[in-house]
Formats: sequence, structure tokens, C-alpha cells
Amino acid sequence: MFSRQIEIGGKVSKGLKALEEKVFNENFCAVCGACLSLCPYLRSWKGRVVKLDDCTLEEGRCFAYCPRTEMELDEVHRGIFGKNYEEIEVGPVRKILMARAKDPIFHQKAQTGGVVSALIDFAFQEKMIEAGVLTPRNGDLLPQGQIVKNRKEILRCAGSSYVSGPTLEAFNRGPWKGEERIGIVGLPCQVLAMARMKISKLDKKTPIDRVVLVIGLFCTWALDYKPFMSLLHERVGGHSIKKLNITPPPERILEVTAGNKLYRIPVDDLRSFIRPSCRVCLDMTAELADISVGTVEGKEGWNTVIIRTAVGEDLLKRAQREGIVETRLLPEDHLRHLKQASLLKKRRALEAIDGKGGIEKAYVRLSTDLIQRILSESKGIKT
Amino acid sequence: MKSIIQNIPGKTVLLMGNEAIARGALEAGVKVCAAYPGNPSSEIIGTLAQVADEMGLHVEWSVNEKVALEVAAAASFAGLRGLCAMKQNGLNVASDFLLNLNLTGCRGGLVLVVADDPAGVSSSNEEDSRIFAKLGDLPLLEPAHFQEAKEMTTFAFEISEQLGLPVLIRSVTRVSHARGNVCLDELPQSSHRPGFETNRPLTAFPALPHHKILHEKFNRAKQIVEASPFNIYRGPEKPELMVFTCGSGWMYSLEAVISLNAQDRVGILKLGTTWPLPENLVTQHLRQADRILFLEEVDPFLENNVKEIYAQNCLTLGLKAFFGKTSGHVPDIGELHPENVLRAIQSIMNISYEPRPSDYAARAREAAAELIPDRALGFCAGCPHRSTYWAIKVALALDGRDGIVLGDIGCYSLGIGPSGFGQMKTLHAMGSGTGLACGFGQLNHFGLNQPVIAVCGDSTFYHAAMPALANAHYNGANFLLLLLDNSATAMTGFQPHPGTGETATGKEAPVIDLKAICEVFGARVEVVDPFDVEATVKTLLNLLQDEKGVRVLILKRECALLSAKHQRRLFRVEVDQKRCLGETCGCNRLCTRLFKCPGLMWDKSAGKARIDEAICTGCGVCAEICPASAIRKEKI
Repeated sequence: MFSRQIEIGGKVSKGLKALEEKVFNENFCAVCGACLSLCPYLRSWKGRVVKLDDCTLEEGRCFAYCPRTEMELDEVHRGIFGKNYEEIEVGPVRKILMARAKDPIFHQKAQTGGVVSALIDFAFQEKMIEAGVLTPRNGDLLPQGQIVKNRKEILRCAGSSYVSGPTLEAFNRGPWKGEERIGIVGLPCQVLAMARMKISKLDKKTPIDRVVLVIGLFCTWALDYKPFMSLLHERVGGHSIKKLNITPPPERILEVTAGNKLYRIPVDDLRSFIRPSCRVCLDMTAELADISVGTVEGKEGWNTVIIRTAVGEDLLKRAQREGIVETRLLPEDHLRHLKQASLLKKRRALEAIDGKGGIEKAYVRLSTDLIQRILSESKGIKT
Repeated sequence: MKSIIQNIPGKTVLLMGNEAIARGALEAGVKVCAAYPGNPSSEIIGTLAQVADEMGLHVEWSVNEKVALEVAAAASFAGLRGLCAMKQNGLNVASDFLLNLNLTGCRGGLVLVVADDPAGVSSSNEEDSRIFAKLGDLPLLEPAHFQEAKEMTTFAFEISEQLGLPVLIRSVTRVSHARGNVCLDELPQSSHRPGFETNRPLTAFPALPHHKILHEKFNRAKQIVEASPFNIYRGPEKPELMVFTCGSGWMYSLEAVISLNAQDRVGILKLGTTWPLPENLVTQHLRQADRILFLEEVDPFLENNVKEIYAQNCLTLGLKAFFGKTSGHVPDIGELHPENVLRAIQSIMNISYEPRPSDYAARAREAAAELIPDRALGFCAGCPHRSTYWAIKVALALDGRDGIVLGDIGCYSLGIGPSGFGQMKTLHAMGSGTGLACGFGQLNHFGLNQPVIAVCGDSTFYHAAMPALANAHYNGANFLLLLLDNSATAMTGFQPHPGTGETATGKEAPVIDLKAICEVFGARVEVVDPFDVEATVKTLLNLLQDEKGVRVLILKRECALLSAKHQRRLFRVEVDQKRCLGETCGCNRLCTRLFKCPGLMWDKSAGKARIDEAICTGCGVCAEICPASAIRKEKI
């Protein structure tokens, strides 16, 4: 293992200047929000993180928390799971199930099974958490982090717009009373950033140690907000967009519910808007969460649920017992398919990283052995 | 009683050069005085405005220099004496009228004082205005000291009437702004009633006969200047070096020659009438020496004109060696001062002289550094322009399209430097920001995708930006105009303007409403208080998105220096030392490293920010930008 940091003026820099050079200038920003509301130098605007001024500090939380700056993946996993990164398919697993929320209220706006909203709502009922950090979208589909306190607010955050938003900005900003236990729902990049916050040795000044529940969302990629919005508005005219959904392969069509019509846009038309940051992302299933939730291809109304920690296992068990969610075993075919899709994302990311100047220059460091395993196990997987 | 209107002939008073010019005009019986303020000329009309009522004058701050000259000229056309003052840039604005006025001529005495700012200490440019005298065949006088400033002004009125031509007086900063003894003459009692002789129209058209008349007048001027007492010679009959100088160069030359103890070797011809030159006097002094040195500020005007006379007479004058700006013995930019004058004479005469130890300057700087706070050129504490530029910086960064900020003339010109966070990208003449925006605002047709922003102060808007705004709407230019309305011509000393509701003499005036004008010109207009930084950022972003034609944002907040005169502080501001993050992650001294209001201090030993209570104006803007809410403002 070796360490690589940018040298500026002979000094090692792990501050904003390095973040700008390594992440913003390379267009690797995931817009997760981990660097926002920590200082006056960074702000988000319409799906971008903007640097307002130079900061002269050689080390800062912005760089330390970013999911796209140098990190040892083993170190992050040791900090969260107490062991090195070994499970290359879908990350650490206690159990993989399929599940859906029982109360139909969670299905109305949900992308599929409503499990995420139902579990967060249940965590509130159980007094496991007193605040949630979720991601609503305003009228123009721009995702923003928000601190939620009740079911009404939770439901406003259901559904996806396929655009990543600075959810963690809301977490950093607060306001927090200082006692509340917090649950967070995030994309893989956001979950990784949370893990980095947790293990960072810098003076935190954020309530990361009060985060008791992290629910991760499966994510293949997210789209760049501005060009995606121009395309949507071009296709649907002035109608306000109510829901977005991508149909499973081999069809892969973005269904846009707007006005009273359903517009269908081939996913291939969107590919050029995929954030470059997503192309180097190794994580489809939010491998550092307590529970990760995604769709089940071909099973409308069901979620795939990966339980990774005791916290996650306990929550799901209780939710099941209380009749909040119902679960089933994930059929073998679907499990295989999930693992293949996850491995394929890793393989593509490794290829993209390689094309960007070689794996040895990548933000995330993996042992040669792990890289070889990913490459060999993902061999022959078809898209 | 103000010394400027004491009617005690023979009394000596201490006057600033500009006051001496004003006194000269009073002694000449001036009736109408007009100007647009501009350093170093502003005190001429400023002083006269204060005595206007007592002296029965009309004194006004006109909206620009061209109008000011027209106002003064009208008095002259009606048989009264008129005075107009401006800085060097102002003459560029007034030149269109001036170069027709020379052809029509004038009637009552008309004097135009142009105060040049060598080195551009308080100007956007460095410019020698004297070339306009040559361009327009107009008489030009250059005072070398305070007494002369007064006497030359009176003389200028006289020859203006004799010739029927406006007369230019060129001052420079060190004549206009220094003070010296001036002996007073009598103030006249005149009650001439103005009238325009309608049977004698004034027109430059047709140009040829008028041009011929001008040349005849100019030839008469040549005769007048030959006998002028403002041209004096001091030195031996046959000096080794003959110095030709004018204006501020006179005092510096005297000092240098005395310092070098070269009074027997160096002669100084001080010329007060520098256009037209007294040809005989010049030829006569060229004959006395083989080595000629020219000392004057800004361009080699005297130098080249004397060389012309020499060329015409070279057969009889013989070979001469010329030294000056052309030869490199005198710097061709910046001000003259005793030292560079002394060095020039020293090097030509080969005299060794060390006025002070060679390390003196370095030691003086060192000593001064301990006493003078390390403060860059920038906006005052509580200046609304600082928060305006802060908001521009944030809005443009968020907008992300690399917006272009086109600058203009005023305190906010500092926006080009660190005090305005380097936001301003162009700086030219009055109103040019808006004019340039008219052009940039058309380039989207060619694919320019950077938003275009012009900044303009309130006084500058009335001066020169209004035609540009009309142009913008008419031609469909696409840009955002920011009117930085601080209710003052602050840079030049708070002279009133059409938006302030007051005249030069302190009388109530109608307010020409900026918002109403902009709306009439077809712009969408919003108004914000720049002290509300977040609201300003939001409005800016909104206006940047709306790319339909010209939009105007008026940033309304009175100049902090003006507010301090009539209003108590808004807030008591203090830094909660416990909350201040100082240099740590999360702040890194945002307030004292970047925002840099002089009211904020960095306490190095504590590693915390503090308020300098002597300087803080209580605007409370720093409380808004502090990321840790450590700066607290409490309403007073």
C-alpha cells in the first residue's frame, strides 16, 4: 500500500485546493453534499458544487469526507465493519431478501416497494431515530437534502429523479439540537462519504456520531441535472413532471409521467448525461450502509433488501414482526443477476479509471488481488 | 468670513491652488461657474459654490463636463464671464463642444481650467490635456505657484475677451492641491446685465471662414504672450545648461539648482504661456545656451513645441543638445519631483551630489511600516460596494458561466482589485461599462455564452451611461446593468448630483429617479439593499437567468461616509470569541482574509477576529457572512 497526495509548494495538500484539482476540475464531483455547509467556500447550485473562494488550509474536512478523494477502501471498511474489504460482489451481507411495505400509503409515490419510506417511518415510531435526513425534490426535480421529522415529510421524499443531490449538505447544516439520533437515506456515494466522516480523525463539528441508521439506495448512475432537465423539458413541453421510472432491461426506457401523459425516452438518449463521477464509482448497492434497498427486476412492487449490519437486521426483523414490511426470499436467478450487475459496475469503473490514467492513480485504492478478482469474476457478464 | 471672499487688497492669505484659481475668477468678476467634479479639479467649483449666494454667482455641478462647458459658454455668449473646471478626462468629454467653440469664439471672458493628474493618482488614466490647446488653436496658461494661479486666472479672462476665444488653464495635482501664500487684489463690483445679440449668431459653420478667423485670433495671441509677465528667466546670461520649464517644474527646478549650488551655471526659463509659445523669447533663450533641458509633467509638450521653433530657426541658432523626456533624462511617465529633476540636471552637468544616504528610502520605509497599518487600497469600512461585489462574486460563481463584469468610474472602480474581489474586468471612461455592455450584449449571436454585467454609479449614470442604456434597449442588447446607487459622487468628495435632491449651492432640487429613468428606457428594474447579501445574490441570479434584453438592478445604500454624517450606527457589532473559528477548518479567516472590511481585525495571538470599534460603521454585513455566526450584530 502506498499513499499519494498532491504536493503543492512542497507540502502535502489535503485541503480545498487539492479537492478542486482532483475532483472538481476532473469533473469527478458526485454532488453528494459531504463538503457543503462545513465552510463558506463551497456551495451547491442547480446540481453543481461551486467553489466560491480559495481556502489556504492544507487539510480540511471537504477533502477528508469526499467520496472521490484518495482513500484506502480497506481502511474505510475496517472503520465501519471491523474488517477489510473482501466481499467483492455486493459488499458485506448478512441477508438478502425481497420486501415491500404493507401500508399502501408508502406505495403511492414509491419507486417500487416503498420499503425505504416504511423503514424510516418505522424507525421514528420505534424511537430509534428522532430525525431523518432524506432527499425531497422541489418542483424542478432538483434534489435537496432535508431534515425530516414526520411521515408527511418522509412521503415527500419518496421516488427518484435519477439525479444526485447534495443530501449531506442538510446533514452538515442542521440545525441540530444536539441530542437527536439520526437516520439517513443516501446513494452509494453519500453512504461512502458518511463512512469517511465517521472514521475521519479531523475535528468533526457535525453530528456524525449520532447517526444510528444508514439506509443505502442502489444506484447504477445519476444524471447531470442541467442537460437532463433541458432534455426533459424539450420532450414533455411545459408540463410539470410527476414521476420518473426506468423500465428493466432489455427495454430500458425512461417513463416520464407529466401532465396526464406518459412520455417514453430511451435510456440510450440519456447516457451522455451520466455524471463522469458515476463512471468511476465501484458501488452499486451502497455497500457501507446498514441496509441497502433497490428494485427487483421483473417484480413490480418489490424491493431487494441487503442487510449488512446488526442494526439493519434488528430493524428489519422488528418491522416484519410489527407488520410494517413483508419479506420473501430473493429468487436465486435474481440474486445471481444482482451480483452480476454489481460486479459489472465495478468492472466498468475499473476500466474507466484505467482509461483516466491507470488504476494506480485512482481515488480509491484496492489491493491487486481484489482488482484481479473483480476482473475475473465479472468476465463474460453481459449488459 | 471665508478668506476667498475677503475684499482686503494687499492682504496675504493661505490658499490651496484651486482656491487661488477660484479667487482669481472672483477678482475677474466671474458670474457663472460650472463643472463636473473630478480630482484634482473639484475644489475650484466646490469653493465657489460655498460663496455663490454672497457673491451673486450661479454655480452648478453639471451632469458632465460637456454640459458644464456649455453652461459656462452660454454666460460668455450673453456677455458675462464664465468659468468651467474639470479634470483631464473631462476635457475629452467636453472636447466636441470645445472644438466648435474655438471656431465660433466667445464674448464675455470664458476660462476653462483643466487640472491634470500626473501619474493618475486619482484617475483611470494619465493624460496631458495641453494637446487640446494646440488642437484647437486656443491660448494655454500654466501656473507654477499659488499667486500665479490667482493672477493667471484673472489674466485669462482678460485675454479671452480681447481675443474672443476661450482660454485654457492647465493645473496639475501639486499646484491644485498644495497650499501657499496668496496676496489678494480687489473684488470688483459689477452688475452687467446679460444679453445675447441675436443679430450676431454663433456658428462654426461654414468652417473655412471661421477657421481663418481663428488663425487670425491665434496670431494676435502670439503677440500678447511675448510680453507676458508669467514668462520669467532666472540665471546667468550665458548658462551652461538652459532649463525650459512650466507649471510644477518651476519650483522643482529652483530647488534642484540651489541644492546643486549651480546657480551660476544653470539658467531657468519658466514659461507661463505655453500655447502659443512666445517665439521671440524662446529663440532668444535658445541662443544663450548649447544644452537645453525640458522639465514638465506628463507629455513632452513644451519640449516638442520648443523644438519646432528651434527647427524653424536652426540656421541662426546653430547646434544644440536637447535633454528631456525624448532623451530619457526625464521620466516620460508619472510626476516630476525634486529628486528626478535634480538627477536630470546632475547627470547632464556631471555634478556629484548625494542629497541623502543611499539607504535612506529603504530605512524610511522600514520605519514607516511599524507605524502604518498594513492595509491595501480598498473600500472604506461599511462601504456598500464591498457587499455588492461580494454578492456579485457569489452569484457569478454559482451561475457558473464565467460572467463578465464591465467596470466604470467611481469608488467602485476599486472592484478591479482585491477590495472588490477582482470582479471587475474592464475599466475605461465614464459610462463605458454600459457602452461596452451594449456591444458584449450582442455577441450571443456569435455564440458568446458568458453573461454580461455592467456596473455603474449613480453620478456616472447621469453623466454618461444614460445614452448607452437608451442604446441598449433600442438595439436589443442583452445584459444586466447594476446601478450602485450610494446617493453621492463619493470618489470626488460628495458633490450632489441629479439624484440627490440638492444643488451645488445647497438648495433643494428635484430628484431624477434612477428607477423611473431605467423603466422609461424599457428595462426590467429591481431594487435591493446590498447590505442584504443573500437577497442580493438571489436577485442577481434571477436577473442573470432572465436573458431578455437589458435588466437593471439598483443596489441602493447610502455611502458609509455620508451616513456617518447624519445617522447613527445601525448595529453594535462584536465577535463572540468562543464561537469564532479563526483559522480552523470551517472558516479559515473568511472575514479578515477575504471580506477584509477595515473594521475587522485579526488578533494573531488569540487566533480570533475582532471588531475595530474606532473604524466599524455598524453596517452588520460581516455578521451575515460569518460562517460560524460568531459575529453578532445588535440593533442600536
